[in-house]
Amino acid sequence: MSVSKYKSYTDPELVSMCLKGDGVAWEAIIRRYRRLVYSVPVRFGFEDADAADVFQAVCLKLLEHLHEVKDDRRISAWLVTTTTRQCLHVRALKTRETTSEDELQEPEDPSINLEELRVLTEKQQAIREAVEELGDRCRTLIGLLYFDSTSPSYDAIGEQLGMPVASIGPTRARCLDKLRMMLRRRGFK
Amino acid sequence: MRKTFAQESQKGMRHITNEGLIDYVDGKGTETEKSAVENHLTACKDCMELKQELQFLVGRLQEDASFEPPTELVQWGINLFQPVSRPETGGLPKFIASLVFDTFDQPMFAGMRRVGIPPRQLLFRAGAVDIDVKIEAMEANDRITLVGQVLSGATKFFDNTPVKLESHGMVRYRTQTNVVGEFSFDEVPKDTYHLSVDLPEGQITLFCVHRANS
Repeated sequence: MSVSKYKSYTDPELVSMCLKGDGVAWEAIIRRYRRLVYSVPVRFGFEDADAADVFQAVCLKLLEHLHEVKDDRRISAWLVTTTTRQCLHVRALKTRETTSEDELQEPEDPSINLEELRVLTEKQQAIREAVEELGDRCRTLIGLLYFDSTSPSYDAIGEQLGMPVASIGPTRARCLDKLRMMLRRRGFK
Repeated sequence: MRKTFAQESQKGMRHITNEGLIDYVDGKGTETEKSAVENHLTACKDCMELKQELQFLVGRLQEDASFEPPTELVQWGINLFQPVSRPETGGLPKFIASLVFDTFDQPMFAGMRRVGIPPRQLLFRAGAVDIDVKIEAMEANDRITLVGQVLSGATKFFDNTPVKLESHGMVRYRTQTNVVGEFSFDEVPKDTYHLSVDLPEGQITLFCVHRANS
């Protein structure tokens, strides 16, 4: 079965399937949360190599702790906490390696408010999940407008979706409104 | 709730359409159009709230592309599971061991300074079986030595037990435990490994990775 068919499964369902040896369920989890995990080291301002180290360590931790998260309704909170701790750990190691004894006493970087980071990261994941639940047309349009690294032109988008260029703006507005209402119904503020 | 268009029209005030607000958020439109939107927003609380909501939403969508990890990194994460998902050949059940202790997760004492790279110690558990693993990095030749012991909660040692070290979906090294359940893989190249222990009850898989400080 392809990973796209696993998109509708809840986190506990996917974890249970993983624990039974289903590698596609594992792939679905990694794909569902890849941006959530990677966003934390990026927000910490880590270089690509350090962000990649954090991502790898968190994937590994998730695999190692699958038994513990199997009853969690959402893995996202566990991932945000684990990834943040991993970032703090990496930063502490780097600080110890590069600073003198006196500098060790300095407080943590106050520019990162961990609670704000947690709230923002979880909100962003809620938006991603809501986008996944939009109809095909809206999901594809939002993907092309906001997630496509090639930044396709309106002409290219119109061609791909089979819609006049003049319809893209109004369709985008309707799709964003659907997304906004969907998030509101879920108590998103 | 925003008042209807008709209600607002009676008061001589037209709401801005969602499309107009999104264009404004995106910085589109002429200066005159932008100015008209701004004038309306200062007088209309409903439109201002909607604009802020859309601004947050569009902002999060726009920045999300920058949180996309490299494809090969995502694939690395997916591949972690490969040994478990491979079809079983021997018919033995497979278990994923849980990590119950890792020195990597332990905070260093305040003021302590690291001298060289300390070995990383991990304890995995699968049912009644414990597996201790120590990973030591050889700075001189970019290799690691991995030693461990397989034992049960009833202090039973698992001797002559096959132990395999796999990477990239292939068995790279094999060994067996000695009379006290110990095994060792000396000076293997740094990599991400899956350690499998073949017990009569089934195969236990552990996940060991070379990390920056291991």
